[in-house]
Amino acid sequence: MIENLVYIVYAVTALGAVALFVGLPRGDKPQRNGLLFICMALAAGVSYFMFDAMLGSVGGKVPLIVLSLLSIGGALRMVTHPQPVYSALYFIMVILATTAILVLCGAEFLGFALAMVYAGAILVTYVFVLMLSQQSTLHSDAFTQGFDYDREAREPFWAVAAGSLLAATVGAVIVERDWGGIETVAVEGGDNTVALGRILMTQYAISVELAAVLLMVAMIGAIAVARKHIPQAEDLTPRRPLGAAGREAKPY
Amino acid sequence: MEMAAPQVLMIVGALLFGIGVIGFLTRRNMIVMFLSTEIMFQGVLTNLVGMGLLRGDLNGQALGIFVLVIAAVEAGLGLAIVVMLYRRRGTLDADGWRTMRG
Repeated sequence: MIENLVYIVYAVTALGAVALFVGLPRGDKPQRNGLLFICMALAAGVSYFMFDAMLGSVGGKVPLIVLSLLSIGGALRMVTHPQPVYSALYFIMVILATTAILVLCGAEFLGFALAMVYAGAILVTYVFVLMLSQQSTLHSDAFTQGFDYDREAREPFWAVAAGSLLAATVGAVIVERDWGGIETVAVEGGDNTVALGRILMTQYAISVELAAVLLMVAMIGAIAVARKHIPQAEDLTPRRPLGAAGREAKPY
Repeated sequence: MEMAAPQVLMIVGALLFGIGVIGFLTRRNMIVMFLSTEIMFQGVLTNLVGMGLLRGDLNGQALGIFVLVIAAVEAGLGLAIVVMLYRRRGTLDADGWRTMRG
C-alpha cells in the first residue's frame, strides 16, 4: 500500500466526472468525442495505476484490473449514450465484466446467478419494454436521431458533482481505513456453491422463503398494474338481464 | 484461483454506485433511469461481496443473493409502472409528469 493513495482516488473520480460531464448528451450541440476519449483514457490509466497499487504483489492481477476498468467504462458509456438500446447493450457489458470479477474473487455462484438473472431475464424485459414503447418511431426521424428527451440531459453539472462527490468520499474512506488482515475465504467442505447453498438452507432458510413470497407478490402486482382491458366480442353485445330468456319465451 | 481483493471490489462498487446516481439524476428516459438503478444495485452487490471477503465468511454472498431477488422484483414492478405511465402519456419522458411536482 503506497502513501497518499487517496489523492489518486480523488484524481480518478475527478477525471471520471469530467468524462461524464463531457459525454452527457446536450441537445443539438455536437458531442465532443475527442475530449471524451482523452478523459476516459486518462481515467483508465490512473485507475489502472490505482488498482495496481492496491493489489500489491498479488499474482495474476492483470485480468482483475482490466475487468474492473471494463465494468466502470461500460457503466460510464451506458449513462452517456443517447440511444436507450445501446445503453442496454452497455449494461450487458457491465454485467458480464462484474460476473467475471466475482468469479475471479471466488464468488462463482453469485457471479453466474448475476449473469443469468440480469443479462438473461431483467435485460430481456427492459429491451422488450423499450421495443414496445418505441415501435411507432421505426420509420420516422426519431429512430435514427433519438428522442429529444434522450438527447438532452437534465442538470448535468449538479448531478455529476453530487454523484462524483459521493463516489470520492466513499472511495477515500475505503482506501484510508485500515481493514486489518485480509484473508481469503476458507470454505469448509466443498466449493463455493455447496457452501453457499448450505448457509442459505440453514442460517437463512426463512429469508429464502420470504424472498420467494416476495417474488410471487411482485409478479401478481406487476400483472395488476400493467394489465389493460381489451374489449372482447361478448363485451360489445349488450348483456341481457338474468332470466330474460325465460320471460320472453311463449307459454307452452 | 481465488484472489483476496476486497478493496478493489469496494472501489468498483463505489464508482458504479456513483455513476448510477448520476445516470438516474441526469437521464430523462424512464427506462434508462431504471437501468441506472440497476447499475447502483450492481455497485451494492460488488461491495457486499468485497465486505464478505474481508470477513472471511459467506454471509456477504448470501446477502448478495437477496439483493439479486430485490433487484428482480424492482425491475418487474418498475417496468410495469413504466408501461402504465407510457399508456397514459404516450411518452417515456419523465418530464411528462412534471405536474406531480406540485
